[in-house]
Amino acid sequence: MKKIERRALLCLLLPLALLAGLLLFCVRWALYGGRWASFAANRHLYNAQGALRVGRVLDRDGDVLCWVDEDGGREYYPNAAVRRATLHAVGDPGGNIGTGALVAFAGRLSGYNLLTGAYPVLGQGRDLYLTLDARYNYIAYEALNGRKGAVGVYNYKTGEILCMVSAPSFDPLSPPEDIEENPQYEGVYLNRFLSGVFVPGSVYKTVTLAAAIERIPGLLERKWTCTGSTQVGDGAVTCPRAHGEQDVGAALANSCNGVFALLAAELGEETMAEYTRKAGLTESYTVSGLNTAAGRFELAGLSERQLGWAGVGQHSDMVNPCALMVYMGALANGGTAAVPELILKAENALGFAGAVSRPRQTARLAEPATAELLADMMAENVASAYGAERFPNMDLCAKSGTAEVGGGKSPHAWFAGFLRGEDTPYAFVALVENGGSGADAAGDAAAQVLNAIVNGYS
Amino acid sequence: MEYLTALPQQGMDAWNAWLAANPQLCAWLAALGRFVLPVLALLILTGQIRSLLRVPCDPEVWACLSLPNGGTELLTHWENILGRSGSCDVALNYPVVSRQHAALIRDETGAWTVYDLGSKRGVSVNGVQVAGQAEVRFGDVLDLGGVETVLLPVPPEERRRGKRPAGVRRPASPWPGLVLLTAFQMLCALELVVAGGKDAPAAIPGAFLCLSLVMWVYVLGMRVLRRVGFEMETIAFFLSTLSLAVTASSAPAALFKQFLALLLGLGLFLVLGVFLRDLKRVRKIRWLMAAAAIGLVSLTLAMGAAPRFGAANWLRIGSLSFQPSELAKICYIFAGSATLERLFRKRNLGLFILLTGVCLGCLALMSDFGAAAIFFVTFLVIAYLRSGDFATLALICGGGVFAVLTVLSAKPYVLRRFAAWGHVWENASAGGYQQTRAMSAAASGGLVGVGAGRGWLHRVGAADTDLVFGMLCEEWGLLVAVLAVLCICTLAVFAVRACRAGRSSFYTIAACAATSMMVFQTCLNVFGSVDILPLTGVTFPFVSNGGSAMLASWGLLAFLKATDTRPNASFAIPLPARRDERTGASLAPEAAPRREEKP
Repeated sequence: MKKIERRALLCLLLPLALLAGLLLFCVRWALYGGRWASFAANRHLYNAQGALRVGRVLDRDGDVLCWVDEDGGREYYPNAAVRRATLHAVGDPGGNIGTGALVAFAGRLSGYNLLTGAYPVLGQGRDLYLTLDARYNYIAYEALNGRKGAVGVYNYKTGEILCMVSAPSFDPLSPPEDIEENPQYEGVYLNRFLSGVFVPGSVYKTVTLAAAIERIPGLLERKWTCTGSTQVGDGAVTCPRAHGEQDVGAALANSCNGVFALLAAELGEETMAEYTRKAGLTESYTVSGLNTAAGRFELAGLSERQLGWAGVGQHSDMVNPCALMVYMGALANGGTAAVPELILKAENALGFAGAVSRPRQTARLAEPATAELLADMMAENVASAYGAERFPNMDLCAKSGTAEVGGGKSPHAWFAGFLRGEDTPYAFVALVENGGSGADAAGDAAAQVLNAIVNGYS
Repeated sequence: MEYLTALPQQGMDAWNAWLAANPQLCAWLAALGRFVLPVLALLILTGQIRSLLRVPCDPEVWACLSLPNGGTELLTHWENILGRSGSCDVALNYPVVSRQHAALIRDETGAWTVYDLGSKRGVSVNGVQVAGQAEVRFGDVLDLGGVETVLLPVPPEERRRGKRPAGVRRPASPWPGLVLLTAFQMLCALELVVAGGKDAPAAIPGAFLCLSLVMWVYVLGMRVLRRVGFEMETIAFFLSTLSLAVTASSAPAALFKQFLALLLGLGLFLVLGVFLRDLKRVRKIRWLMAAAAIGLVSLTLAMGAAPRFGAANWLRIGSLSFQPSELAKICYIFAGSATLERLFRKRNLGLFILLTGVCLGCLALMSDFGAAAIFFVTFLVIAYLRSGDFATLALICGGGVFAVLTVLSAKPYVLRRFAAWGHVWENASAGGYQQTRAMSAAASGGLVGVGAGRGWLHRVGAADTDLVFGMLCEEWGLLVAVLAVLCICTLAVFAVRACRAGRSSFYTIAACAATSMMVFQTCLNVFGSVDILPLTGVTFPFVSNGGSAMLASWGLLAFLKATDTRPNASFAIPLPARRDERTGASLAPEAAPRREEKP
């Protein structure tokens, strides 16, 4: 019997395995429970069409963008243009837009918690206030005027995103029938601002310039003469026209490819990679829990000419609009900026909001002195190249980009920058795909939104 | 019959109408139930679990051996091995004694027999050489290769020690748990009726009332028979309550059937428990049980049952359908467990391996691989307990792996079930359909659950059987679901601890095998439903909706009840006869009944 008694101890392995597995499940349950509950087949939170049947989405002023009617169906803002402009922030009924609040913040909307699950004691459903202003979204969406692109504006001190638009868009109340095949709706479910990557073109020159300021002694005293075609390494880098003799400030204002290609080649691939990484352009930010797409810069093993092109934001460079906006915010804010946020607060039935999170800061994206110098040059840009009168009452620093995309298509138009001043801590990015000249197409969209933010709207 | 159901239903309709007129009350009741039920469950089960885990499992003293050096060795089992080796029950450290010299075995009448285990120098009783076996009476001189010992009755001071009223030895009082469990059942029925709304059938309160009644009748009846241990039954009744709740929520029409199965299960539990009292009877019937196991698993094959949920393990007779393989589990354990006497007479596992092979073959033929896995693990447990031989078991495991690979190559659809394993969310509408829904529903319940009868998981196929853990999490909350699993673990720990006081290796092996079976089944069920293991379609003991499974669970519990050697705790162990006490031929625990009779 003693032997059997000893052997029986081995039988304890099975209950131990059961306990271990149970523990594993409990840990997973605690970690991923919110995600499991936010599953479109979960009838506690979703209706038969797979749409969230609890919670309201509001903008920062309290305009209700999306709510639930008595039958559990989803209702959206009365104005169709506003519905389109806020689609990628709010989400569609089918749950196809991953960055939409209905999908991304389903847990916050339902009030899901580990104690009471999908049915909080104070009732299901919360009011989720986004940091966005529907009005700015509307203005930006109208400014894009049917073209594909993205516009984002955020407060680089608090991290609140005031405007986030991605086009093309559609009306969530009447999704187009031909959404899958019509090229007009290509990539419509993608939030271009958070999840897209695009050829940056000249807006990337701000990174090249930051590296040059710190690594090339006597940069500010140098002079270059642009003939429209500059020999870099074994090949030529061309400009749209001859810029003549210029210093580095003028080269930035002219957006001279030749000068920046020479600088990039002189800095070398390692320095360029280092500064790109430092600027956060290869990083993925977490915006209220949503991960942005990371940019791609393949700088290793390039010839001098290729590195030159990469240094002016061409070659195989790809940047995410949101990451670029954060870099602009950091230039404005002495080298670091707040990480963008999309959620202002979530209130339960009693109007009680949960703990407000303090703004998170990015790592150091630029040295303070460099940032200040760059800001001055970008302000000079606005005065000399873009026209300060287009941006009334603003201390604007900006850089345009006209990014060649090949394939016989028009270049992407970029306009990125920031406002200085205590009362206007805004950084922005505007992208119009195949929009032509950056300062014109994207600059207009940015100007309209910034004008509404700074000078108000009637 | 119609009249019999019509009257309660009328009352029920009136009650439902009254509830519908008071929606505010319903909302309050629902909210109250969500929080009160888990607390009740916690109170009920912590009491029972603690009591079971605290059982000291004191060895009982059945006789003693006086040694040549003047000392005495207590015999604490019915089956004792005497020898030089330290792993013997009575270690006799003399060079003339073989490592395993002899076995001294008591039968239920109190008669002792000595078996020579092939010792070098032989065994003799009162100077007469023993060939094979011989009876030993108290006072007889037992000579082990020259070492003379005398078999003596339990010395008076040992008997007094047994009488000592040590509080911890007594099982916990069943009444608080029983009262709480009754409250739990009533509140649960109320919750289900409220959640059911206008259509709540009278069967719901009916089933729960009947369950409470059966429970009280059982406990009171056992008290009349002077039994005092009820932890296992309370746990089983609690899990059965959950089973009724799950059934009421998913298939109210099957409630009566499930209650009937519970009743039959309780009956089987009692019959089997009483049967297990007599070891001689048990020994005789083992062959019959082996035949029954084979008969039951092959029955379905012979009848050509239609496949259901991929496995053709269902047998239909008229409107009734049941799984013979569930009952075969009991027969299999019965046949596989062996007394020590048999272990020494027949050392190899040949026949048992043959039995296992036939059972597994039949199960594989009907594609019931979940049950096959359970049988295989139980086989490993029994085989290890019987032989302790790692080498043979490793060989058999290798054979098992080979068999699995063969099956997978012959029946590729089995592999498809495995394909989604670990990636269920990527296959949420195909291979991971059930698991994703189970996990989503489980998360929705939170710690306290959404309330009995308020879930949606029951609309998914096999929710009340294979995914029942998900349903528990959803409607009852993680707390109750975890408690249910802990209950099963507790039974297993109790079985292993009870070995210390095990009377015969038959009981010990059977109890360990039965709980291992339950635990492994729980593992497959729980982990399968939440994607820790592939979904195999195995039931949760006691909880899953299914008559055969309920029956089998109660049957397996009887094996466990037979190892509960606390004084008077278990009905599966005969009460000591009073005349034994007077003659002094027996034994320490006898003192207990008299203590019980005191007010």
